[in-house]
Amino acid sequence: MIFRDGRAISCRRRTVYKGVPSFRFPVGRLPDEALLAGLATGDPELAVTFVRRFQRTVFGVAIAVTGDPQLAEDIAQQTFERAWRHAQIYDSRRGSVTTWLTTIAHNLAIDAVRARRAEPVAPEDLDALLDAVTETPEQWALADEASSRLRAAVARLPREQGRALVMAGVYGMTARQVADREQIPLGTAKTRIRTAMGKLRGTLAAPNRGDHVQ
Amino acid sequence: MSNDVTCERLREIGAELALGVLPGRERAEAVAHLDRCAACREYVGHMTLVGDGLIGLLPGHEPPPGFETRVMRALEKDATAHEGDPHPRTVGPARGPVRGRLRAARLRTASAVAAFAVAFGVLGWAVGTAVENVTASPPASSSVTAGSRLLTGSLTSASAPARPAGDLYAHPGEPGWIYMSVDLADAGTPYSGQVRCTLERSDGSTVRVGTFALRNGYGEWGTAAPVDATTLTGARLTAPDGTVLATGHFTGGPKT
Ligand SMILES: [Zn+2]
Repeated sequence: MIFRDGRAISCRRRTVYKGVPSFRFPVGRLPDEALLAGLATGDPELAVTFVRRFQRTVFGVAIAVTGDPQLAEDIAQQTFERAWRHAQIYDSRRGSVTTWLTTIAHNLAIDAVRARRAEPVAPEDLDALLDAVTETPEQWALADEASSRLRAAVARLPREQGRALVMAGVYGMTARQVADREQIPLGTAKTRIRTAMGKLRGTLAAPNRGDHVQ
Repeated sequence: MSNDVTCERLREIGAELALGVLPGRERAEAVAHLDRCAACREYVGHMTLVGDGLIGLLPGHEPPPGFETRVMRALEKDATAHEGDPHPRTVGPARGPVRGRLRAARLRTASAVAAFAVAFGVLGWAVGTAVENVTASPPASSSVTAGSRLLTGSLTSASAPARPAGDLYAHPGEPGWIYMSVDLADAGTPYSGQVRCTLERSDGSTVRVGTFALRNGYGEWGTAAPVDATTLTGARLTAPDGTVLATGHFTGGPKT
């Protein structure tokens, strides 16, 4: 594995979770993976802790893709239902719990958008989202190093590549849809997506391989 | 075949494939190529990580008031709905062992392809979704009653008992679950390979709950397991040759 070797994960956990009280362990301090494992037992306290910990992230993905609070709430709820039903098939080697959840939420959101919306995303929404992805002070502070590198790389992209990236990667638009939306040839749209992704790929091969991409 | 995708062609469409926006026919041809080309699998795996990372950059957003309550209600409803399932995928007492086996099988499969886990990311969670019908059955609502009486403990290395070597968590229930993060490297045991986990009870009996892999002394693992808070005392990790690598005692949980 390139970014998610067990050493890095364990080091982080050792730092954070050692020295916890041994009696009535507060579930709020459980590692994400342990909380998810516990979710499968149906314990309501673990379930509510899980929802509280991730609802902001999950709803954030859903609202970013759909732009519709009601639809986003439906998607966020479905995401948690899915996580709850399928906690057993989560595999930490494939990525963090956060990535697992955001992937579920994103897939559900894309499906919902494809089913409902014939219109491509509004231009102002697209630009606002690209700005949000590259300039979120709150997340700059919290993000791990890999996320920060990725964010910086997105910010360095030429605007048209950044737009193509967000259209394909966040809104799930095909190269054809990107081409129509930007009024450019199909080949140009494909090149923009590929070039942007290629540049971002470079951020993965950083010297410190110790953390996962979130 | 005339429309065989070459590596060069794959590199042109790999980004779109990883982002899930490649139209059906092209996608099928690309996936067929990945089936037989490890280098391109790795390439697309990296692109998938980039795509996941991009989603991870989206700003968080508080859901509307009452969201948490509505989700919890939906989860309870879901549990109740499956309680009287006429075609249960897992039934009553069989649930624990069946789930345990499924999880063990999945973990074995995962280990076998660990080197390519990133590369398979493009199929990644989607594969998980595809197998959802055979693997996951929500717990019956009857089990949605226990408060959180989580047991915790620390692992210590058999060779350097003074050094902490990981954390243990156990949640009572039938099935309950256990989860551990293991870190034997600092304690001087950078063991790589399979380890067996055995739970110890106050009456001296033991129960094997499964095996998992450590890499350079590190690993994390969880499984469904019978956990009785009144009798569970500890856990032990052993190598295949029987060498005890680490032991731990549960200290948390209810007083009895
Ligand atoms: Zn190839």
